[in-house]
Amino acid sequence: MVENPSVTAITMQGVNKWFDDFHVLKDIDLQVAMGEKIVICGPSGSGKSTLIRCICKLEDHQRGLINVLGIELNDDIANVDEIRREVGMVFQQFNLFPHMTVLENCTLALTLVRKKNREEAEAIAMGFLEKVHIPEQAAKYPGELSGGQQQRVAIARSLCMNPEIMLFDEPTSALDPEMISEVLDVMVSLAEEGMTMICVTHEMGFARRVADRVIFMDQGEIVEQNDPLSFFENPANERTQLFLSQILQH
Amino acid sequence: MTTAIQQLPPAKPSFAARLQKSLFNSPLDCVISVVCAALLFYLLYQIIDWAFIASIWRAEDVALCKAADGACWSVIDARHRIILFGLFPFEEHWRSTLACIVMVATIVASCFTWFWSATRLGLLWLCGFGVFYILMRGGMFGLTGITPERWGGLALTIFIFASVSLIGMPLSIVLALGRRSKLPVVARLTGLFIDFFRSLPLLTILFAAAVITPFVLPGWLQGDKLYRVIVGFAIFFACYQAENIRAGLQAIPPGQDEAGLTLGLNYWQRVTRIQLPQAFRNSLPSIVNQFVITFKETSIVTIVGFFEILASGHAAYGTGEWTPHYVEVYVFIGLIYFAFVFSLSRYGAYLENRMRVGHG
Ligand SMILES: Nc1ncnc2c1ncn2[C@@H]1O[C@H](COP(=O)(O)OP(=O)(O)OP(=O)(O)O)[C@@H](O)[C@H]1O
Ligand SMILES: [Mg+2]
Repeated sequence: MVENPSVTAITMQGVNKWFDDFHVLKDIDLQVAMGEKIVICGPSGSGKSTLIRCICKLEDHQRGLINVLGIELNDDIANVDEIRREVGMVFQQFNLFPHMTVLENCTLALTLVRKKNREEAEAIAMGFLEKVHIPEQAAKYPGELSGGQQQRVAIARSLCMNPEIMLFDEPTSALDPEMISEVLDVMVSLAEEGMTMICVTHEMGFARRVADRVIFMDQGEIVEQNDPLSFFENPANERTQLFLSQILQH
Repeated sequence: MTTAIQQLPPAKPSFAARLQKSLFNSPLDCVISVVCAALLFYLLYQIIDWAFIASIWRAEDVALCKAADGACWSVIDARHRIILFGLFPFEEHWRSTLACIVMVATIVASCFTWFWSATRLGLLWLCGFGVFYILMRGGMFGLTGITPERWGGLALTIFIFASVSLIGMPLSIVLALGRRSKLPVVARLTGLFIDFFRSLPLLTILFAAAVITPFVLPGWLQGDKLYRVIVGFAIFFACYQAENIRAGLQAIPPGQDEAGLTLGLNYWQRVTRIQLPQAFRNSLPSIVNQFVITFKETSIVTIVGFFEILASGHAAYGTGEWTPHYVEVYVFIGLIYFAFVFSLSRYGAYLENRMRVGHG
């Protein structure tokens, strides 16, 4: 996780995707360097989720190239597996496994995929649960936790796999306002440690604080991208201006 | 607002108070309650009188039965071996008894969560079933051989139920997963298979298995008639159970599988660790229900010539002096069914309760 801008973490070249006849992603070109933090924003339905879901092949793209950590994302299962092991994803709805305790949620992939024995796996998992400040909840079931706690468990669960890249799809949109900051704090500290991150979020405070680049998407296109300062102060495109005026109003 | 008196929850109303409120709240309520209570007591008295007070118990006293008002349990005393063991040779009844105990113990043991892993459950059933089979079939370890045509009574009922479950359960999981497969060919074919067998009455399937398959299958594949009937029954069971499991799979949010994917779990890991455990939880009531139905439906095999417990009961009161006492025989068999089915459904309820914790 050492910052090394010479290695690209993710390269997308001319990526196109259709849902049946609906053109969701149009000629997406995107380069993400190792250690870079990117925030993607844009109106609902603009294809933000689809874009980051393509990176770990939760969606297939139909045209264009996606390359993650030097591995080409194609139909080769071995490549897909390797990429998924290096890319962690956090979802809006947490997607914790409800029938397992918090600790079991975290150790599952460690034992099955990383082939750790139980003691090792639990030690690693407890380490990350401490990092997200909820080691005391390890024995509980997800249903017994608050939304903010669940999302932090979900982050810890991804981190257990020791990913090079973390993708966040609106991690705070399903949370009550008072729980948003506890999740953002975890994400900020992750960013400070140099994790390569792509976050779909409308938390503009977070974007200003940690993003190296903010990307605005609309109707399946990357309309504008810039460093946070220029992006928020001098948006060039009028669609961006409109969007920003709408979300920054209140 | 400044007083710091601790608020206690309101005291629960006493039992008498609740009774008063629900049963004697108005004059009409009182009348209805009293009439119902009287009726209930009268019925209960009649049943107890028939079953316990005015009844004859010992086989030797059968002569008294004609005069008695109550149940004639002599028929059970005299004929219970036929009911429980059917045509199984008399001197070998201990084997059938032991086999039943082993099988019931196996079923009970597999209800404990400690056994819930593929290896443990597999080993348990391999042992339980093996011992059952050796005891019943004989022909080794110095036990005389007894062919399945002579098996009967409770042991046969349990054998059919256990083997239908044993073959049917794994098959139902395969069918449920197959029907949800991403490969259209697999999904269509399993769908067709399931719908075909669900559209046939069980009776037709059993008849086909018993009577028709011998003309179709090569000799080495036919096996005994009992095994063919069991396989037919198991397929029928699996098709229904597969739909129950599929309903449970359908209810799982797609995000669960996606979370598994991004963690790098492969298909079987996602199926066994994420999907199936949740699917079983989701459709536990209907899964248990299917077992209950199957246990009761085992009696249908009489029609293709097997002496399961209901048929052997029929035989038990079928001769001479016992013919008037069929009610007692059916009550006895009914109680056996009740013991099995009731414990099955209680176990289902217990499981549901236990699993609710996990969902929070
Ligand atoms: N599985 C699907 N099948 C068909 N259309 C889909 C599917 N998933 C998404 N879409 C459509 O694709 C478009 C982009 O969806 P996407 O979820 O990527 O948007 P988004 O930018 O993440 O929006 P939001 O802010 O609401 O999450 C939407 O119009 C949506 O209706
Ligand atoms: Mg989205």
